[in-house]
Amino acid sequence: MARQLKQIAIYGKGGIGKSTTTSNISAALAEAGYKVMQFGADPKADSTNTLRGGEYIPSVLDLLAERRRVDAYEAIFEGFGGIYCVEAGGPQPGVGCAGRGIITAVELLKQQRVFEELNIDIVIYDVLGDVVCGGFAVPVREGIAEHVFTVSSSDFMAIYAANNLFRGIERFSNSGGALLGGIIANSINTEFQREIIDDFAARTDTPIVQYVPRSLTVTQAELSGRTTIEAAPHSAQADVYRQLAKRIAEHADSKVPTPLNPQQLREWSARWADHLVAAERAEAERNREVA
Amino acid sequence: MAILALKSRPTEITPDADKSGPIELVRYVCAIGAMQSAAAIPRVVPITHCGPGCADKQYMNLAFYNGFQGSGYGGGPVVPSTNASQREVIFGGADRLRELIDSSQTVLDADLFVVLTGCIPDLVGDDVGSVVRDFQKKGVPIVYAETGGFRGNNFTGHEAVTQAIIEQYLGPWDGVREQGLVNLWSLLPYQNTFWRGDLEEIKRLLESIGLKVNVLFGPDSAGLGEWRSIPRAQFNLVLSPWLGLSTAKLLEARYDQPYLHIPVLPIGARQSGEFLRKVAEFAGLAAGPVEQVIAREETRYYNYIDGFTDFYSEYWWGLPARFAVIGDSAYNLALTKFLVTQLGLIPAKQIVTEDPPVEHREAIREQFRAIDHDVSVEIEFAEDSYLIHDAIRKADFGHKPPIIFGTTWERDLVKEMKGSLIEVGFPASYEVVLSRSYVGYRGALSLLERIYSTVVSHSA
Ligand SMILES: Nc1ncnc2c1ncn2[C@@H]1O[C@H](COP(=O)(O)OP(=O)(O)OP(=O)(O)O)[C@@H](O)[C@H]1O
Ligand code: SF4
Ligand SMILES: [Mg+2]
Repeated sequence: MARQLKQIAIYGKGGIGKSTTTSNISAALAEAGYKVMQFGADPKADSTNTLRGGEYIPSVLDLLAERRRVDAYEAIFEGFGGIYCVEAGGPQPGVGCAGRGIITAVELLKQQRVFEELNIDIVIYDVLGDVVCGGFAVPVREGIAEHVFTVSSSDFMAIYAANNLFRGIERFSNSGGALLGGIIANSINTEFQREIIDDFAARTDTPIVQYVPRSLTVTQAELSGRTTIEAAPHSAQADVYRQLAKRIAEHADSKVPTPLNPQQLREWSARWADHLVAAERAEAERNREVA
Repeated sequence: MAILALKSRPTEITPDADKSGPIELVRYVCAIGAMQSAAAIPRVVPITHCGPGCADKQYMNLAFYNGFQGSGYGGGPVVPSTNASQREVIFGGADRLRELIDSSQTVLDADLFVVLTGCIPDLVGDDVGSVVRDFQKKGVPIVYAETGGFRGNNFTGHEAVTQAIIEQYLGPWDGVREQGLVNLWSLLPYQNTFWRGDLEEIKRLLESIGLKVNVLFGPDSAGLGEWRSIPRAQFNLVLSPWLGLSTAKLLEARYDQPYLHIPVLPIGARQSGEFLRKVAEFAGLAAGPVEQVIAREETRYYNYIDGFTDFYSEYWWGLPARFAVIGDSAYNLALTKFLVTQLGLIPAKQIVTEDPPVEHREAIREQFRAIDHDVSVEIEFAEDSYLIHDAIRKADFGHKPPIIFGTTWERDLVKEMKGSLIEVGFPASYEVVLSRSYVGYRGALSLLERIYSTVVSHSA
């Protein structure tokens, strides 16, 4: 009996921690007994590295560059905990069409019915920074991922990217595409950072699935080519990822996002900027008094 | 950690033969040419989402300069197109497509619209599915197929269109099978110049043994009513070397419907009899009445052949002995079988030109290797006419002038070789074809007429 397949896409600003978070979710899910596939939808093809000791694997498009036909299984590699790792890959920077590459790679696995054959429970797409063109929106179309999560820190640029993503999802959601699952708040260490991201979440009526602190454990694990789950299974950070993974596995109901419009977003960030300046001034004031 | 793919690639990867070079004198069109497959279904209208020229080129090549078949009810110049250009490339063409579908509904009277995409939307990743699904939800009979030229040729496109209709238009089904009803998947409409007459003859043959036929394409189809009854049929009959097989497999998976695959289109009495017996057995028909039908057909057939033998025995010295066929696997195989087993001609060169998917190639080769108990033919797959003509020139035709079954592209070559040419495939630009057929009992007689009229008038 085929299991019910759950497909999830993780989006967010470049460098914000999508691949790190995704790989840790995958690792935690595998640890909990799920059959997981992580699909790197990014021409850099580095999404799944920490699941395989830091090693690169040939991407679907590397194989396709050699041959007109590719057996999808030639592009699937087993990583930590039996996680199936796939990298879509793409052309060299500055040439060709990366968007078309993503579409081709996603289609290839779908056509060859790999998910069904491998009896996968959860597929997680780790998608490149911004939804720059139609190609990178493929994972949120009808019939691919059902739930989108965005990784965001409290930096304004990351929040802008998240808000943009909401707009993209809103567009596709009318036509049966994926819905928004929530925000994974990454690198949240101070009360102030938490307030900012909480406020954005409240304004857009979006749940925060998990707060993930910025932690040296993550860096150390990454340097050893591993996820935190694998390298530091008993750390507090690993438990944070486990909790996140559990919420994602149990997550059922996503919703149509309600993004801020550009004007609202500008006003919102301006208010926080003022707040920030006031806070810094108060802090400087305090320091002077101490001195 | 050892990094191994779930399935390892062969260590020695021989790069694919470089197929990126130009092709001289093409023998098929691009995938969006399957707009004519949609148009081949009565009262179905294709809508193309592509750049300017894509649709016109397909139609002119397939339906005009190929037997002058004409556009049909909804094909050719009727086909609405988004005429996508720079704007649609940069901003996406979904809105333009939505607008076009909307207005097409107002202006055109169709039972079903089939949206076909060209390279532009497929490359930039327009979510055509979501646009079409919006209309489907409103109850508009419409489906879509992605047929950008980089995805393949019109054979690929045809399967995409067929399967789009099955998957998007036919719902789930759990009724009772109608014994004796059969879905026919055979020649590629319009690409095969004689498809209309041929499907008519195949249908006639199947009906003569008591079957009811969903012929699905062409003037003998009842249109969408037939398509809706596809799941009800007792079985699918795939009558071609490979085209239609994936559709039959889809139907098997979707509706648990069995299929019979007969790679050789029957031409002449021997093959037609064998064909009818095979189908009858699969359908579970009693042998007696089927044999009666065959006997009746053969009496008529051999009556004509009898008259023909006077000519044949008188002119034998001037008639060609060796032949070559350049064409799609379906006709190539059928003609070679007929010419070898029933006319005793000697195959000199058989070139298959439609670029069949690699996974079917070995099976096609095997069919040719078993042409007769004592005749085995090694075929070539080629698409570039320069290479094809080169191969024909080098073939051994003995001392007599060759007879070549090919296309208009072989005109000059055949003149140079002082042979005879029978135009049997795309493009046949010096043939006007209405209902002529070359298959079955009746088609075989037309084919004989054609062959020997050409030969006997050669020196006139
Ligand atoms: N919670 C965290 N604690 C410590 N370091 C982190 C954390 N999250 C991410 N990082 C670090 O941030 C860097 C960027 O992360 P990652 O590669 O996961 O981002 P990304 O969003 O996938 O980037 P890209 O858009 O380039 O693919 C990495 O070095 C990673 O180790
Ligand atoms: S190959 Fe592409 S651009 Fe050319 S005719 Fe076909 S669909 Fe149009
Ligand atoms: Mg990444």
